[in-house]
Amino acid sequence: MKRWMMVLFFGLVLPALIFSGGAKEQKAEVKSVRFWYHFDNPETSVKPLIEKFERENPGVKIQAEMVAWDAYFQKLMTSIAGGNPPDVSQIKLWWQPQLVEMKALTPLDDYIAKWPGRTDVFEKIWELTRHTDGKQYLMPLQMVILYLYYRADMFKELGLKVPSTRDEFLDVAKKLTRDTNGDGQIDVYGFGIRGGRGGHDFWATFVLSSGAEIITKEGKSGLTTPEAIAANQWYIDLFRVHKVSPPTTPTDGFNEIIANMKSGKTAMTIHHLGSAKGLVDVLGDRISAAPVPRGTKGAWTSFGDEENGVLAASKVKDEAFKWCAFLATAENNALWQKSSGQISINKSNGQTKEAQENRFMKASVESTPFAGVLPAHPKVAEFVESVWPATMQRAFLGQITSEQMMKIFEEHFFGKK
Amino acid sequence: MRKRKKTHRFLQRVFTLHIPLLLILGFALAPYVWTFITSLTPEDDLYLSEFRYFPAHPTGTNYQRLFSRIDYGRNIQDSLIVAVCTMLLGLCITVPASYSFSRYRFIGRTVLLAQFLVINMFPVVLLLVPLFILMRVLGLMDTYLSLIIAYSTFTIPFSTWMLTGFFNAIPKELDEAAQIDGCNRFTTLLRVVLPVALPGISATGIYIFITAWNEFIYAAILTGSNIRTIPIALQNMIGEFKIAWGLLTAGGVVSAVPVIVLFFFIQRQLIHGMTAGAVKG
Amino acid sequence: MSQEYRKRVDLFPYFLLSPALIITLLVIFYPIIRTFTYSFMQYILWKPTEIKFIGLGNYLKILEDPVFWISVQNTFIWIVGVISLQLLLGFGTALLLNQKFFWRGIARSLVLIPWVTPSVITALMWRWMYDGNRGVINDLLVRAGILSSYFPWLANDKTALYAIILALMWQGFPFFAIMILAGLQAIPDTLYEAAEVDGASMVQKFTRITLPMLVPVLFTSLMLRIIWVANSLDIIYIMTGGGPGYATHTLPVYSYIRAYKGMDFGYASTIAVILTLLITLFVSIYVRKVLRTEDRGAV
Repeated sequence: MKRWMMVLFFGLVLPALIFSGGAKEQKAEVKSVRFWYHFDNPETSVKPLIEKFERENPGVKIQAEMVAWDAYFQKLMTSIAGGNPPDVSQIKLWWQPQLVEMKALTPLDDYIAKWPGRTDVFEKIWELTRHTDGKQYLMPLQMVILYLYYRADMFKELGLKVPSTRDEFLDVAKKLTRDTNGDGQIDVYGFGIRGGRGGHDFWATFVLSSGAEIITKEGKSGLTTPEAIAANQWYIDLFRVHKVSPPTTPTDGFNEIIANMKSGKTAMTIHHLGSAKGLVDVLGDRISAAPVPRGTKGAWTSFGDEENGVLAASKVKDEAFKWCAFLATAENNALWQKSSGQISINKSNGQTKEAQENRFMKASVESTPFAGVLPAHPKVAEFVESVWPATMQRAFLGQITSEQMMKIFEEHFFGKK
Repeated sequence: MRKRKKTHRFLQRVFTLHIPLLLILGFALAPYVWTFITSLTPEDDLYLSEFRYFPAHPTGTNYQRLFSRIDYGRNIQDSLIVAVCTMLLGLCITVPASYSFSRYRFIGRTVLLAQFLVINMFPVVLLLVPLFILMRVLGLMDTYLSLIIAYSTFTIPFSTWMLTGFFNAIPKELDEAAQIDGCNRFTTLLRVVLPVALPGISATGIYIFITAWNEFIYAAILTGSNIRTIPIALQNMIGEFKIAWGLLTAGGVVSAVPVIVLFFFIQRQLIHGMTAGAVKG
Repeated sequence: MSQEYRKRVDLFPYFLLSPALIITLLVIFYPIIRTFTYSFMQYILWKPTEIKFIGLGNYLKILEDPVFWISVQNTFIWIVGVISLQLLLGFGTALLLNQKFFWRGIARSLVLIPWVTPSVITALMWRWMYDGNRGVINDLLVRAGILSSYFPWLANDKTALYAIILALMWQGFPFFAIMILAGLQAIPDTLYEAAEVDGASMVQKFTRITLPMLVPVLFTSLMLRIIWVANSLDIIYIMTGGGPGYATHTLPVYSYIRAYKGMDFGYASTIAVILTLLITLFVSIYVRKVLRTEDRGAV
């Protein structure tokens, strides 16, 4: 009977299939390094790099797994708490304080001291990625520097100059916000603000450069000084008073701000090299770039980073470090950046030369001196992921004032008074 | 005379059946069709300042890339294995359980029935860490079995309740008549009650299948490089700074196809099974 | 028949349900108990040295947490909105699909599409359609003259929750359609034939036969769906992340954010436990009713 054959199939063949999936063939002498990474482009593969590494390091196998960005930190934390983390994982700087607190990362100082490639990595990166306890837990992988994108054609049309200060910026943004076809509705907005998750970079660019500080040198809050509240007010006003950003601002993410640039809905925004190619594909010469404008106290732009960390639970730390070091070596790092579209961490990759021809690279390189990161505090991760977006959105919607907003941030970092 | 009555009835059916159903299907399909159109649109055309309902230069490259570069066929296979096994395991376990709940009154019945509900009220995201530890201890990490077992934990309680409802709708006289005819308790269930309950069992099976087919969070945590179901593959197309719209929408369109085709045949069986089964209460 | 078995302890029913019990208890009981105990602890994942028992500390803290109360309110709107819309549309669809017509096989399959589309896609596509700058919904409404300009549906705190409710109605109504359809199929034709002989009207047939026969299926599917919807997270989280502000924070979203953004598992578990208690209250009315209907014996 046919039905019984079906039963047989499901009863015998399927279980066989199921269990075959879990079987792992490993020879005892081969050391296997589990590596987690994330890439924005699902079509790229790290296979060529792995093959090269395995050729150069016989006896070591890399088991790479691409983890979805949205689930990355959750999966990493679950695996650490569950006692089965990977050996090497791509790690964001703002995760580092928590991971160090959990003793989940291996200090790499001894390894790095013996690694000849260390001098080829920009000093600035070592400086920014070193943890507050003086130890180096992370191996640099790529760097991302945020700068200002602007529509060169619109600037030319209106006879505007690229803004270099906050006041110039507001002036330009107001002029760019206009009704182009005379139907009484605004068609172009001066500045696309990222109000959703991930928009803290925008906020920090304007607020941290104009007198606000999350944690001062003395370890106190610098968020609720009159200056800081005014700087924050200025930023809220961009949307609420001057309306130079689209009505969708409170929930706009990277997808929306870039789409708005591409479609000509906005004339300026802040982002990095990763979106340069896409923007040029659509806009060609009409898109250009410059460092972000200065605030009242100087300039600040976000240093977006990617590093690799060796997990403390790893049983193959030597091999794991070898793989991290391999990826941080000029030739291999250049290959990695081909997939990521970001900037190499190595001096010898000659990006300063490239910067003379490429306006986006130029803006990145020119921004390096004042690129900064949020303070190394264990609560920064939550700040970035949930506290900042919810609070910023409430301020944009007029539910809370600038002062209340900064108080919430202060409470987040320093507790209730 | 008769003919006019026939046209009248037909017109009535057009307004009470065909048109409302078409409207509902339109609502059900519109977002899917929109996804399909997006998948045919070259990525740069998505951001044109003017609004287009259909791309000027539709392209199928997203579908081609989906299978050649992402290995989406493998994802479909993984999802199919997990969903089919979860469904079969779920049905084999819950059909007897709910028959028991429906037909017998025994000590602890209410408590047991209620516990199936309560364990389902807990948000699954919070169970991840202990579940992860459990799977690690059992040595099941990154296997099909880990997902099948994990999914069973939330499909079994639901299906038990669902099926109990369906069994309750079947008159008990049917069982009694069968036992008078000489069936024992097993054969009563197998030969008499099951055929009548087939629509309910199929619907529950579909429920389990679809739940397993779409599940993301357990799959994200419990599997790794060996097994990659469809939702995992799709989630990988959403990066930190970029969404691969073309691939994502193409993947979404393709992922619905196997289930729809499968269901098309199941529901034919379903009607067939109905007419074959004796429902003469 | 049942009385006959009641006289001695009959192991047969236990035997039938043992596999289901064993697998659920084995796999899910331990995680639930673990998480339940977290709710009485200060348990922040990145502070492993400071994990300690704090009694009802989290529960007391939660009562003063304004975000928790906003989430409770949103959860309520969410459940009522989603469930009533899904049920109405699903019931209507099931009644239509239960009739005989030449394309019903195709119709029955196609109606499943919203349900089989992975949540990631559903959430992103609806977000894309609602988009305040290029969304197709805005374009259609402006073309139809209902709106004068594009509206930021998801960025407005007054509309965001309802916009997501509509998306979830789309995703979930096929569930009701299929379950109710299966319930309709199980109603013997003879009942309708007998009613027709007695001269019953369409409405009478519906209220006297269809509805009463559907009660068990309706009740269970409604209850299961309430539990499912009350716990649903992915669509909301992908569409708005709980924002703007706290406008789309429901209890599971808030619990998830506390757990995986704040890594505060103690507090998140507390929210989860309270959510479970609330749903239990919410459905206990149904449960009692279902159990009572059963005891009367089906039909």
